[in-house]
Amino acid sequence: MTTTEIATSSIDIFSDEVLQDPYPHYAALREEGAVVYLPRNDLWALTRYRTIRDALENSSVFSSQRVAFNDDMNRALAGTSLATDAPDHRQLRKTLLAPLTPRALKSIEDDIGSKADRLVDDLVARGSFDAIGDLARAFPLQVVSDMIGVQGVARENILRWGEAAFNVLGPMNQRSVENFPVAGELFQWCKTVRQEDLVEGSLGHGIFESAKRGEIAPESCGAIIHQYVAAGMDTTITSIGNAIAHFAAFPDQYARLAADPSLVRSAFNETLRYEPPVNLFGRHVKSDIEVEGTLIPAGAQAAVLFAAGNRDPRHYDDPDTYRIDRDPADHLAFGYGIHTCAGQGLARIEALAILSACARRVRSFRVGEGQRQINNMTRGLSSLPVLEIRAK
Amino acid sequence: MSGVAAMTKGAFLRIDRDRCEGHGQCAIMAPDLLHLDDAGEVVIDVADVSDRMEAARKAVQACPAIALSIE
Ligand code: HEM
Ligand code: SF4
Repeated sequence: MTTTEIATSSIDIFSDEVLQDPYPHYAALREEGAVVYLPRNDLWALTRYRTIRDALENSSVFSSQRVAFNDDMNRALAGTSLATDAPDHRQLRKTLLAPLTPRALKSIEDDIGSKADRLVDDLVARGSFDAIGDLARAFPLQVVSDMIGVQGVARENILRWGEAAFNVLGPMNQRSVENFPVAGELFQWCKTVRQEDLVEGSLGHGIFESAKRGEIAPESCGAIIHQYVAAGMDTTITSIGNAIAHFAAFPDQYARLAADPSLVRSAFNETLRYEPPVNLFGRHVKSDIEVEGTLIPAGAQAAVLFAAGNRDPRHYDDPDTYRIDRDPADHLAFGYGIHTCAGQGLARIEALAILSACARRVRSFRVGEGQRQINNMTRGLSSLPVLEIRAK
Repeated sequence: MSGVAAMTKGAFLRIDRDRCEGHGQCAIMAPDLLHLDDAGEVVIDVADVSDRMEAARKAVQACPAIALSIE
């Protein structure tokens, strides 16, 4: 075995400085090695596209028992599809996936499309608005709340809960500590929500029906709803907000999309590649494994840097350039393998509906300065003022 | 892998039904080679893809569930 010197880096990948603009740091790590040990985080970073895909495929060594970067959250997530290994993972995922398959989503696809059209019509009429608050957040909030059947006070809390749910997956830094109580509210609500709290005919209501029919355990209803909110809100919001930000930053690319809105699927893939909503997830290394000449010891925690892999020049040419016709369908933003995002069908339907509604109506637009939202796990904006719109 | 398939010349798309979750990315990347039927099941339309390797590889690469391969 030719285990060479271990590549290390002294950066803290959860620091404000790195999260403000992680890409130069990720590029440095990627050049340092396919595997880089980070003493400050006590993590083994996987930085290159191929290395990441291989690790995600090798889920018997790279276990999901530690997807989060602190023990409290890993304990809280035990028993979810996200944090469970094969073979138990299979049944949990099946239950979770059933309402999210493209086939199951067919029935709500048209409704999501009309909601998107109405929202964009309204925003175009207003002429100036916040692309994050009024669009990227407003739309998934409406779609997912309606889908789950959430109403009243809970609905007003969902945005806060969704953002906190990702922050607390980070290490126990200030951000995690501050967000634990908020993430706790979501856990608590999911634990106590009853069928009659949810709108009849909604997916959430239906989950309780399945429990009544004995298809799933009654206590798993809340856990399933928790995953839809925790995993499905901030991610989708971020992806839509990032797409608008990319369209604004690269007006020639947006002009192509406005001229040919059928490019929207490819454009969305490129947004997910260029700035994946979730920078990384963790894995628990179950046994010693040599990766590209570096021995990662059993018991270590790996940081799977999707965002670094998505910019790997070994896999994508000219990776730092945003090109809406690239169509990188093999990007890592949804992960890969047995834990690949269960909600990707829904995320695609939502994002494509709203982005194509924009592309069909808006010829060009001008934005002011956006505000970055610093989150331990996700990369997005907290505001992006649209100042002017030229409708078609 | 059946012995016959292994011995037959050519390259074949193989779908692992156990792993396929109907994400449909394969059919989007290679619409001439496979499609999803009304029940959401993948149907392989072109058996031997040896002269369509680029499209076939794209489909395999795009499958997030590692359900598709070329043999
Ligand atoms: C653009 C939006 C989204 C992105 C970028 C995203 C990203 C991801 C990623 C990277 C994973 C893999 C985690 C891992 O490997 O450890 C994942 C898993 C998951 N996602 Fe998403 N997600 C999105 C939207 C959604 C939506 C809308 C839902 C649900 C309504 C959802 C539900 C889930 C669930 C339940 C899992 C765990 C699956 C499992 O471990 O079996 N996601 N997501
Ligand atoms: S992309 Fe993969 S999981 Fe999806 S339908 Fe095709 S083979 Fe099945």
